[in-house]
Amino acid sequence: MNNYIEKNILPCVTKPITYLGNEVNAVHKTPDLDMIRFAFAFPDTYEVGMSHLGMKILYGLLNEQPNIWCERVFAPWIDMEEELRKHDLALYALESMDPINTFDFVGFTLQYEMSFSNIINMLELGKITKKTIDRKEDEPFVIAGGPCAYNPEPLSDFFDFFVIGEAEDVLLEIMDAYRLFKKANGKRQDFLKTIAAIEGIYVPSFYETNYDPDLGTITSFKPIESIAPAVIKKRFIEDMDKVYYPEKIVVSYIETVHDRVSYEIFRGCTRGCRFCQAGMIYRPMREKSVDTIQNGIRNIIDATGYDEVSLSSLSSGDYSQIEPLIHNLVDEYDDKKVGISLPSLRIDSVSIEMLEEIQKVRKAGLTFAPEAGTQRMRDVINKGVTEENLIDTVRTAFEKGWGHIKLYFMIGLPGETLEDIEGIARLGHKTVDTYYGVDKEIRDKNLKIVLSTASFVPKAFTPFQWIGQNTRETFKEKQNYLKSHIKDRKISYSWHDSGVSFLEAVFARGDRRLGEVLLKAQEKGCRFDGWGEHFQFEKWMEAFDEAGIDPNFYATRDRDYEEILPWDFINIGVTKEFLMNENEKAKDALLTQFCREKCANCGIMSFKEGWRCNE
Amino acid sequence: MNKIRFKFKRTKELRLLSHLDQQRLFQRALRRGNLNVAYSQGFNPHPKIAFGLAMSVGLISDCEYGDVVLTDEISSELFKEKMNRVLPKGLSIIEAFQCEEGTSSLSASLLKSQYLIRVKLKRESTNQVLTRAINDYLDKPTILMDKRTKKGKMIQRDIRCFIEDIRLNDNKSENGIIEIEIDLKYIDQQCIKPELLLENFNESINDLLIIDPTIEIYRKNLILKK
Repeated sequence: MNNYIEKNILPCVTKPITYLGNEVNAVHKTPDLDMIRFAFAFPDTYEVGMSHLGMKILYGLLNEQPNIWCERVFAPWIDMEEELRKHDLALYALESMDPINTFDFVGFTLQYEMSFSNIINMLELGKITKKTIDRKEDEPFVIAGGPCAYNPEPLSDFFDFFVIGEAEDVLLEIMDAYRLFKKANGKRQDFLKTIAAIEGIYVPSFYETNYDPDLGTITSFKPIESIAPAVIKKRFIEDMDKVYYPEKIVVSYIETVHDRVSYEIFRGCTRGCRFCQAGMIYRPMREKSVDTIQNGIRNIIDATGYDEVSLSSLSSGDYSQIEPLIHNLVDEYDDKKVGISLPSLRIDSVSIEMLEEIQKVRKAGLTFAPEAGTQRMRDVINKGVTEENLIDTVRTAFEKGWGHIKLYFMIGLPGETLEDIEGIARLGHKTVDTYYGVDKEIRDKNLKIVLSTASFVPKAFTPFQWIGQNTRETFKEKQNYLKSHIKDRKISYSWHDSGVSFLEAVFARGDRRLGEVLLKAQEKGCRFDGWGEHFQFEKWMEAFDEAGIDPNFYATRDRDYEEILPWDFINIGVTKEFLMNENEKAKDALLTQFCREKCANCGIMSFKEGWRCNE
Repeated sequence: MNKIRFKFKRTKELRLLSHLDQQRLFQRALRRGNLNVAYSQGFNPHPKIAFGLAMSVGLISDCEYGDVVLTDEISSELFKEKMNRVLPKGLSIIEAFQCEEGTSSLSASLLKSQYLIRVKLKRESTNQVLTRAINDYLDKPTILMDKRTKKGKMIQRDIRCFIEDIRLNDNKSENGIIEIEIDLKYIDQQCIKPELLLENFNESINDLLIIDPTIEIYRKNLILKK
């Protein structure tokens, strides 16, 4: 423990205990010269980062290795940042409290675009040179992975390399290579050349982009280093029963966003919603067995003392053994007062009876995501859910005594008309009617329906990756239109700030030229952009202005199929032809069947030799 | 039912925990230790654990008490052993004993508490001056202090009755930091927080002390009624 910080700084900040790294199951090692020091960086607050599953997996995996010490570092909250700057102290990793600029690696996880400014800020606070091109020989390698690494280009100025895909295997390959590099006493460039040859590694400084001087679009993207491959293939884990999964999970003292055991039951998704990036990049779907899951959960609860387990995945109701799994878990844990929860449920996948079984104490309401207000629109996005599904589900929920229901939608989807917007209100009204159709004696006395809309952000590697986002004005009009069509006091409406969604759209499909904007925005004090009260839209617009970049080029512009997209050099297994075809089908509101029903030939089966889905 | 009263201490490593976080920590430790806690009946059952006093952020303590009701018939000695195996560094159980039927609750048993406070001086001063100031303060027949009621109204109450003694540890005072010991007593389960008392005292000496978050407070002892 660093006494100076503990005595003079931490008593003056909020949530001081989160800056000490002394939680139950936090790993402390005695460093020596052979030890690789890895700082796992989450570019948001402790309570957000500590809820993140990927960090728990990789923290455990690295620390299982005898000569690696992986520690955690989060974005310090505003008051802590002020203190660090005031005392001229570098941002430190929690366990050792050593400054992160003394580490071998600082590895960021890229979960959402709105955390990008925090990355730059954390590098500055960690006293690490921000741009790779200026970074000195003895500075850490700054690396990244996670979903936003599938379009790494906006961040390519700041990262020495990216890991594309699932990291469990490749991270250890990197560590092996680093150990050899350290022994050989080589230069940074030597190490980068070595690992550029590893599948799934992207070293941005080994590539060059050219742009059309008039249109601003990319005319070429190619390697300038012979070792660097022209196409980067993502990595994925084949056997989910054999892959490492942590048991001695760090138990936070403070309440985190998801303050429970999160147990991953499968990766990937069989559904193929056309707006969903996760549904494409995490293909193929791979399940863990019921045995693996039950044993894993038992060991984690023994090691942590948590009293709630959440079965996590992209759509937990789609787990092929969901009913037996839940029965087993309820059997095992009912007496022990351990609760089970299921996030990410599709309306058509899970029976309300099952929800009732696990949710003995009714704490909160239910949330469903029809995503769009009319059947035509739901077919456009290939959601597959019908109005009948929804009404049946909410009716059962009302019959079982739930009274608080939230319905989640997106606005600004491709081909949307005002009728589709009105459809959202109409669905809300039908939900209210369904409630009044349920016997007074059994329904909850308090009815509350929340309609919530997010502004659609087109993402890379989805069938909608070519589509321009609605302008902020259009979003406002649509929100007002929807508001004016809600005619029931039992229905309330909430929406997301379109400024945040706009910026998200810029970075989600941005290219290298945005690095300049990020630097300028951070200099102007932008950080915690995802935290309403700290989001400074005007500052961001100034940054674009000064960098001479029009954000609309990235957010609201339609692309044609011929355009070279900044992320085209990454191969996720799902082919571009499949995505185009899906986009064309969307225009005609044609459905594509779920993978389990009929293979749609997305490409993943030819991506890896011998891979077969649904077997 | 097996009600166990345990005495524990908190050291520097975990002094920055909030009371609520510490309660949750105990619940999880009990689960890790495989100790089955009894739950209250009702719609939203909660584990039967209670603590004598709330611990504020920053407090180091040699003497805290907690009560827990277990459904297992295990000895207090084994309870202590199991808990100390699973508690994080910074919290440990010193003593545990089985409560007999009819033992009064912890909050009803509070008698006295003793504190040691290390605080910085704003200006130079001497031990004599400080000692005299303390004696003058203690000589007051009443010490009125503002207090906000539960309804949000401000009232004045006399806190003199809660103060047993205040002493300056004169051999320990150096580098502009002094040590003050405070002995308090409970009257009808009520008392005064030492930091509030210190602030009040500080007013009487023209803010000679720097009372900020870096002040160090130790609870040396907590005495329960027999």
